[in-house]
Amino acid sequence: MVYISSWDEFAERSIQLFRADPQSVSCVLTSRYVMKYRHCDGKLVLKVTDNRECLKFKTDQAQDARKMEKLNNIFFTLMARGPDVDISEVSGKEQSEAQPTKKGRGRKQ
Amino acid sequence: MVGSLAQPTHLPPYFKLRKVSSKSAREREREPSLFAFAMVLLQPDPFLNELTSMYERTTERGSVWVTLKRSSMKSKAKRNKMTSAGETIEYRCLVRATDGKKTISTVMECQSKLVLLSFEYKLSAKDHLRFQASYATILKAHMSALKKRERRDKKKAGDGQTKQEDLKKPPKKSSS
Repeated sequence: MVYISSWDEFAERSIQLFRADPQSVSCVLTSRYVMKYRHCDGKLVLKVTDNRECLKFKTDQAQDARKMEKLNNIFFTLMARGPDVDISEVSGKEQSEAQPTKKGRGRKQ
Repeated sequence: MVGSLAQPTHLPPYFKLRKVSSKSAREREREPSLFAFAMVLLQPDPFLNELTSMYERTTERGSVWVTLKRSSMKSKAKRNKMTSAGETIEYRCLVRATDGKKTISTVMECQSKLVLLSFEYKLSAKDHLRFQASYATILKAHMSALKKRERRDKKKAGDGQTKQEDLKKPPKKSSS
């Protein structure tokens, strides 16, 4: 079990792990994304594993909870449309970032 | 007084009779019950309600685990049959939540490549987003024990540490 200290590294590796799920081989999807929250300790632990490799991220910071929400959206999208989806994940991120900053951009091209 | 109860000999040792008053509430909670291991499959909205109450129950003690996984929700035999028959297997998102004692789950229909009526397709996509949004709201509302970032690290390093300790203290006081 590996605790990864950098959020970006954890996010990137966990998405890769999910994408590389050998669905075609056995039709069994083994990757899962687990989130454990303890209010009494104020700790949040995220785990992504395919039962072979395990990536974990531990935090007690509120800012990581916000980053985790974005990662949640990415995982929902990945699981909905399949691990082959490439563009929608990126655009999903960009869309969620672009929407609040609609004022100065977009149609003034 | 503990040994004064006559134990039923025809039942397995699990069903020992015990005096209720000699056990604390915590010990009684820990006793395995037959229903504790059943996983309840719910519709998305009741699942979200139950998840909310799980978070509310575990503020002073315990954890909440939420697992996200892609699943076809079909047994291996059925899956093998389908692949050999050339049918595409539809995958869904399985969301599970547990507090260590009770487990709930829900299955999200995915906006996938199946041929659906356009109206149904839009409905399921909307529900999907709605679930995602509600789920994110619940998490945001309940993960309040995490520390906020202290940006005044340069000047007040010592005060910053004591502030974090103060954040920890109130929850502990409320539990006692």
